[in-house]
Amino acid sequence: MATGTDQVVGLGLVAVSLIIFIYYTAWVILLPFIDSQHVIHKYFLPRAYAVAIPLAAGLLLLLFVGVFITYVMLKNQKGTKKAQ
Amino acid sequence: MRERDGGSVTITNLSSKAVKAFLDYAYTGETQITDDNVEMFFQLSSFLQWLWGLALLGSTWAALTTGALGLELPSPCREVLWPLPAYLLVSAGYYALGTVGYCVATFHDCEDAARELQSQVQEACADLARRGMRF
Repeated sequence: MATGTDQVVGLGLVAVSLIIFIYYTAWVILLPFIDSQHVIHKYFLPRAYAVAIPLAAGLLLLLFVGVFITYVMLKNQKGTKKAQ
Repeated sequence: MRERDGGSVTITNLSSKAVKAFLDYAYTGETQITDDNVEMFFQLSSFLQWLWGLALLGSTWAALTTGALGLELPSPCREVLWPLPAYLLVSAGYYALGTVGYCVATFHDCEDAARELQSQVQEACADLARRGMRF
């Protein structure tokens, strides 16, 4: 069995994914069927954000990956230039 | 661009006979399947099946969301329908995250074997250093 920080990190990731699953499923699938006067609607943002937030997060992720790749490539280039 | 300036394009990884067989089928409805092209046909057919399924689901969703079919769906159903592609993408995301987390948490560490291996490596390094090898 994995030990120490491995287990903590792993279980943390599982917990985060479960929370996202429950919240997002409730937001997209359950909320339209609940009466609009119910108090639970207070805990959820307006429906348009259900698409906007994942889209923005995806774009941010792509941006981060692109910046990371650029950074690594520049570092490698500088390294070989110095060697020459 | 190299292809535009060079005047010719070379497509690798596909036998010309296989591409010819596929084009024959597309234009005449008949083709010869040989040892050469059978594997390429398998790959191509599974890719096209996947693409077809995706196109079918996508067009169904688009037709239902834009009301092109003239069906009067109840309002809650329509509210659930339009964010569905985003929902599927996000669900793929958290499923991947959960799987990775679960595998990290249940990874089988062999601590004793690792320690033993480390000590053996140390022994070998010490032995080689004694014989004059420098690291």
